[in-house]
Amino acid sequence: MASGAVKKTTNIVGYTVLPNAREILCGLYSKTLTALQRLPKEAAYRRHTEQIIEQRLQIVQAETSIPTIEEQIGCGQVEELVDHAERELKLVGKMEEWQPWEPLVSDPPPGQWEWP
Amino acid sequence: SNNKMAAHSGRLLSFWRAAYGSRNLWKLNAADKTSSQLLWRYLSTDVTTAKNNELTAQLLQYGRYIHDILPKYVQQTQLTHNNELEVLIHPDGIIPVLTFLRDHQNSEFRQLQDVTIVDIPKNVCRFELVYNLLSITYNSRIRVKTYTDELTPVDSATSVFNSANWAEREAWDMFGVVFSNHPDLRRILTDYGFEGHPFRKDFPLSGYVEVRYDDEVKRVVCEPLELTQEFRQFDLSSPWEQFPAHRKPAISSTSEQDNTKKE
Repeated sequence: MASGAVKKTTNIVGYTVLPNAREILCGLYSKTLTALQRLPKEAAYRRHTEQIIEQRLQIVQAETSIPTIEEQIGCGQVEELVDHAERELKLVGKMEEWQPWEPLVSDPPPGQWEWP
Repeated sequence: SNNKMAAHSGRLLSFWRAAYGSRNLWKLNAADKTSSQLLWRYLSTDVTTAKNNELTAQLLQYGRYIHDILPKYVQQTQLTHNNELEVLIHPDGIIPVLTFLRDHQNSEFRQLQDVTIVDIPKNVCRFELVYNLLSITYNSRIRVKTYTDELTPVDSATSVFNSANWAEREAWDMFGVVFSNHPDLRRILTDYGFEGHPFRKDFPLSGYVEVRYDDEVKRVVCEPLELTQEFRQFDLSSPWEQFPAHRKPAISSTSEQDNTKKE
């Protein structure tokens, strides 16, 4: 790695620079994928999230330089990506509890969503 | 029949366009989410809407995505004419849906802009709660709507968003909607001893009390209202149709009878 490769600041309050962001991201994405295995296979949340995370994990594993990773994923800086991944991991646990793939709880009262 | 409706509405639209502007209202019924049947569909005939239609299509697809992931709570998704996506949910799903929209990597709606209420007295559940969310990562907005009546409490969103604290206090003060598990639900805008919920449709414009300085007791007193002129009630209804884009299909009694006879 070149000496000037590590960035000095993220320019965002609350996000300190993570020089080992690649490893952190790899770890978080794999953890989330294993956590997703606990959800039922036909759940749309599991399918879509697996797709997103596998795509991002592929990019993170293939590329070594952080600016390329940021550019290819295209969702902000790696520190933000780490934050997003941590939140997604927590969300998987909550989705397991709520199970939102079940059918609708109940229909709205008649005429509720009609306008005017 | 969909094509006929679209053609008919196209002609209608070109006539009303000058007065009402272009309208794009797409609704996806919960019962038919797999084939995504369109209930009504009005295509804009404006020249500038090629890009708009692309945005509309993208937002519709995103609405379907949300609906696919959360079918337990999402009753309907719709798109207003200004390309604003609205997700209509069951009140049990406030915390799950808001947490999902905040934490999921494909939504990232990390900012709750406002919690408001629309009072529609003719409904059984007269209060329609509206949560406006903003995603800074993706530069987009979404609206989550639920419903409740005057007595049923609703889950507080303070566990998901800190900004819901004061917003829900305002909703309680102005409308009387109770939020359970709110850390501090008390009045925020009305006066300290104020009774009533001012933004309800049955609360009069002038209120029930007035305040004045009384020289005898040397302080401000609160007394029942005394208007110098009787409040004039204007009848604002007009003989012309107000919402041509939202006409309900006419159901004639004879066709219904025919159908039942055939069955």
